[in-house]
Amino acid sequence: MEEIVFGIGITALAGALATVAGAAEDTESDIGSQGDPNSQVQLAPQMGYIHRIFNKAVAGEPPAYGLWVALGAGLAWAFMAMQINPILAIVLGSALAVFVQGVYATTAYLGRTASLAKFGQPVYIDILKSMTTVTMAHAFVAIFTTVAMCHLMISALGHPFPLPLLGLVWGIALGAAGSATGNPFYGKERQYQEQAFGAGVPISASGNIVRYAEAGQRNSLDNGFFSAKLGGPASGICFGLIVFFELWRTVVFEELNIWGPIIVGVVVILLFAIIDRYIEVWARKNFGPYSAAPEEASS
Amino acid sequence: MSALGGPKQTGGVQSPTAMGIVLSIVLIIVALGLAYFLVQMAGVIALVGIIIGGVLVAFGVHFVPVGGAPAAMGQSPGIATGVAMLAAGAGLAGLFGGAWAAPFGLAVALAGGAVGGGLLMAITCTMVNVIYIFGMGIPAASGKVDKDPITGDTFPEYKSQGTEGHGLPFISWVGGVVGGALGGLGGTLIYLELLDIYQAQLPVLLNATVEQIAPVAISLAGIFAVGMFLINAVLAAYNITGTIEGPHDPKFKRFPRAIIAAAVASAVAGFFAIALLELVGVF
Repeated sequence: MEEIVFGIGITALAGALATVAGAAEDTESDIGSQGDPNSQVQLAPQMGYIHRIFNKAVAGEPPAYGLWVALGAGLAWAFMAMQINPILAIVLGSALAVFVQGVYATTAYLGRTASLAKFGQPVYIDILKSMTTVTMAHAFVAIFTTVAMCHLMISALGHPFPLPLLGLVWGIALGAAGSATGNPFYGKERQYQEQAFGAGVPISASGNIVRYAEAGQRNSLDNGFFSAKLGGPASGICFGLIVFFELWRTVVFEELNIWGPIIVGVVVILLFAIIDRYIEVWARKNFGPYSAAPEEASS
Repeated sequence: MSALGGPKQTGGVQSPTAMGIVLSIVLIIVALGLAYFLVQMAGVIALVGIIIGGVLVAFGVHFVPVGGAPAAMGQSPGIATGVAMLAAGAGLAGLFGGAWAAPFGLAVALAGGAVGGGLLMAITCTMVNVIYIFGMGIPAASGKVDKDPITGDTFPEYKSQGTEGHGLPFISWVGGVVGGALGGLGGTLIYLELLDIYQAQLPVLLNATVEQIAPVAISLAGIFAVGMFLINAVLAAYNITGTIEGPHDPKFKRFPRAIIAAAVASAVAGFFAIALLELVGVF
């Protein structure tokens, strides 16, 4: 019984770490503009819209986070093998992984933006200076929490995978959850803030992203501020729920019966099916069918 | 890639050519023969398991509703990320669960892997709809069918002007969960087959007990399972080209070609994975 209570505590802690990781991951990727909405950031200058948005989408979020978290976990694992205190080892491993992320962000921004030179898009050095460090800080939070969570899964819950492999697995899952949940909010709600609320962006408006803020030109820090309100926390809840239910069903129900975790997993899936169906019907009833307003046309 | 996520998607189904099928069968037989030659019957059984696992992964990827870049602007239905990436996220979460349950036997581990992958997709798909509905005020609408095959909801009147649909209709949600479950099942099967092989070979090679080599065997099997998973997921993504809404999408019918390709890729890559230690021994 005591073991189960301990396991539940670890599960809750891992879920909390995952929630922070998901929120930091989505905010980082939106400040750096790494998700699918970056297609519009890349397209805008080609359509004549010069902007000051960061641009580092040379890899998708899942493989990028797979790399950074596996790197942080691998280094932490090596430091722990050198008898360094686990918390210090995880901090050091994550910090070193963040430097790789910083190099990636710098070269990706310079490369991607320079490729737009023939469309007149300048490389803004002040953008590089002010935003790279902000994405690095957010990436550190995401990597540190994910590596710490993986360490808990191994040392406290006894998962058989070594730390670097677990880092790769959960890094990819973190990127998948963060990009799936956070991308539409950054893409539709922020980049196309001028378009009508409650409708998809017409394909004819592609590339016409919002480039001006309350004062002066909009930059990616403004986008991070916006994402942190809903897209980030929602991604955090998504990843936190995934990690929590994945661990909880095993930790609590494996003692009762070896099939327990599987049955509980199926029940949880059915529960989410009901929630999903409920909100889908709720939206159809409350929002109603699409009706075009005359000023809704593109640009 | 264009702003709309790749070339115009025709949804056309191209059947595999006779030449392709013959070549595939030959390659699979050669891989099985080599596996028998190097690792005997255990190698053949493991390779068959790996081929089945790879095929399940590639088939499962076709179920996952992926909208790519257009979905991030509410221009097409699905989840706003890449096909291979999302499938990998789900499949590897399944592998995490499956590997954890490995000591309880094949059936429990496989079911654990499938449920793990399905659970990740269930939560992710639900959160996608939460963001679309409560963050953006957009109800789900499919662009490929007029009516949801499961719930019977109609879509054309809910679709925004100038888009191909948006959000995740219930059929896409179900497709996502089925795809995640198949991915988790396939990934776990590959892992377990490789683990069996390494646990049998490593003690002899290193002159150690099974307990002593367990970390090495688990790491090797795990990393090869991740690699084989990605091979099959990417192959399936190439077959889909861009975006897919789920099992109701006309592109779903393209899956036979991916299954053949996945079987061959899994046979060849799987042979190197199971014969790794034998090959290391040769040199």
